[in-house]
Amino acid sequence: MDDLPLQKIQISGPTLASMIQRFSTALGDVDGLLFGHVSHIAPSSLSDDDPLGSSSDPSTFVATVSGFLCSGTIDSFYDSSGQVNVLALRRLLADRIPLRSLIGWFSGRRRSPLRPSLRESSVTACLSTKAQFSFPIENSLSNFRPSLFLLFASPLSDQVIHTHEYKAYQYCLSSQTLEPKSIDIVNIGPAFRGHYGSFSPSSPFPSLACDLRGSPMAEDDTDATRVSKAQAQRELDTCAEGVQIGSLRRLMGSEATNYTAGLEDLYEKMLAKLDSLARLVEKTSAKVHEQESHNMKLRYKVAGYD
Amino acid sequence: MTTDAFPPVIAAQINYLLSHSPLSIKIDQMWAGCKYSGLLDRFSLLIPFCLDYIKWDVIYNAQCPLAAPDVIFGPEDENFHPFCVTGDEGDFKLPKNSLSDWNSKDPSGLLTLVHELRDLYMSYQKKRIGEVDDDRLKFEVSTMLSREGIEMYMSSGAEKPEEVKFAVPLLDMNINKMVFGCNWRHQQKIYLQVIFPVGRKYVSVPSAPRLKLVSTPELKVLFPIEDVKLPPWLDGMCMAEYLPNLEETLEGQIMDAVSLIDVRRHFIEALAPVFGRPLEADPVFCRKVTFLAASGVFTFLVHCFLPTQFPKQQPVLMLQSSQHFNSQGAPIKSHLLSEYPWSPRWEPSQMAERISEFLVDECLNFKKYCNETQLQQH
Repeated sequence: MDDLPLQKIQISGPTLASMIQRFSTALGDVDGLLFGHVSHIAPSSLSDDDPLGSSSDPSTFVATVSGFLCSGTIDSFYDSSGQVNVLALRRLLADRIPLRSLIGWFSGRRRSPLRPSLRESSVTACLSTKAQFSFPIENSLSNFRPSLFLLFASPLSDQVIHTHEYKAYQYCLSSQTLEPKSIDIVNIGPAFRGHYGSFSPSSPFPSLACDLRGSPMAEDDTDATRVSKAQAQRELDTCAEGVQIGSLRRLMGSEATNYTAGLEDLYEKMLAKLDSLARLVEKTSAKVHEQESHNMKLRYKVAGYD
Repeated sequence: MTTDAFPPVIAAQINYLLSHSPLSIKIDQMWAGCKYSGLLDRFSLLIPFCLDYIKWDVIYNAQCPLAAPDVIFGPEDENFHPFCVTGDEGDFKLPKNSLSDWNSKDPSGLLTLVHELRDLYMSYQKKRIGEVDDDRLKFEVSTMLSREGIEMYMSSGAEKPEEVKFAVPLLDMNINKMVFGCNWRHQQKIYLQVIFPVGRKYVSVPSAPRLKLVSTPELKVLFPIEDVKLPPWLDGMCMAEYLPNLEETLEGQIMDAVSLIDVRRHFIEALAPVFGRPLEADPVFCRKVTFLAASGVFTFLVHCFLPTQFPKQQPVLMLQSSQHFNSQGAPIKSHLLSEYPWSPRWEPSQMAERISEFLVDECLNFKKYCNETQLQQH
């Protein structure tokens, strides 16, 4: 099995901020999974003679963290000795679409040194040997195993200013060590324009199979077109609120003169969808919170204090 | 330090560790990692290792007090991954360890974990030192390895020079058993600390290692290790030559120290006919005895401290008034008195007589001192 040492790890500012927010608002320590992709970047200077005959320069693999899942507690997919529980991990991954591959995990613990602990090292080592979770690297023939570990900690002493420290590691199989890796934070702004070149959205607009060109021939409502239209409408409903599938036709062909208005309308409806999703999340969060405090009371009871 | 602020299941494990470990493990600091609950759940342990302490942070979780703890090792030991074993095929195995089946109701869990990790740390250090490319060090290690209980540690830091530290247990004798009636909880031992600088270059005469004798702290009352003079280290010497010689001298000195207990006991017994029965006496090591004495109506205590080198060194006396108190309400005491006529060749009864004669005069000075001190307060 090959080690694919990463040159660096990229993460967008909002993703990192949202992870830190989850960590700092949790009652205790937390852990979770990291999703993203790994790409092989071709060296900028290509030369004809390659003295070593190595086709891939090992230092040109870059991992991008595009999403995460915070469990809100500890020991969510491994046991007390750090052995990964594959069943529990599959349960956490159940609703993940393959686009967002598991590239590693993270741990956040308050008021502790910024060094991997005994269990964190074991979990990282164990996770990176799970071949069933490996995925292909973009622009390369190799596969990448989930070997990243992102550690969050806060200083031991109480401070007026909230400081959150973080450090990234990659498990190196040959030396059996956790190699520190640099983190590149990708923010919005002119300095980061180069990063958009490799941008790939993590929630793409669905590709609708339905024929929307609306030629006079297709006007007759056959069963087949009706079924495919209903299917497309359902897919559209997952990302925009109250947009008729037929209205997308206006974005193409001769009617595209009203393109701007039509697109703005689509974006507005997409925002409305996000808004209603947010409301739903808020409601369920309240329920989760209620359940959590109930669980905590039970745990306290078991542990023998009130 | 009290462990009351920890959740009860965690407190039970900490208390068990501190009271049952044969090592004198200490808690350095404790703090809370969870919000709002006010319960402590993390602490740093100072664990004796190679005549020094290693500091490990133990991280519990007050939110899940039944969950097993986690451990963070020192910043120098980032490559110490005790429970990870990778097979030849690259498959990953976690051998069964004290964390595998964690039972939070078992108070001995933490103790077992700490001792298991300490043992693994010892092998880790041994392995690291074995990999050092230094011929002299390799030779020294090979001759010393057979000694039971030897510990070694390699310090490596960016700014510190690389060196290897050994803690060599000396003397294969049970000092605890040699002292009648002693109540030492830990086995008393003497170690030689040997520090070799790591030299990767060949030199014809390697520099002498840094040597220091260290004993368990309680042994001080019988045998102060800092008074022992180490034999000189000759050029080209090795530990295998140095140690037997040192052990022989030390053994003799310890035998002497033990036999001196009886000499002190005879002296204390000889004091009784002169001063009356002692109020208090150290019956095991006979290092301290207190009598009640009076000069007219002035009543005072005589504290007598016997050095380990008694009778070569004379006892140190201190008087304490039973009638005069300072502003804090504590009895007034004299300075330590060690300048009075003395000869180690006197019989114990004569020693007692001469101390008594000295005190007849000295107690008048002390009475005057007490009255003056008390007067100043009014």
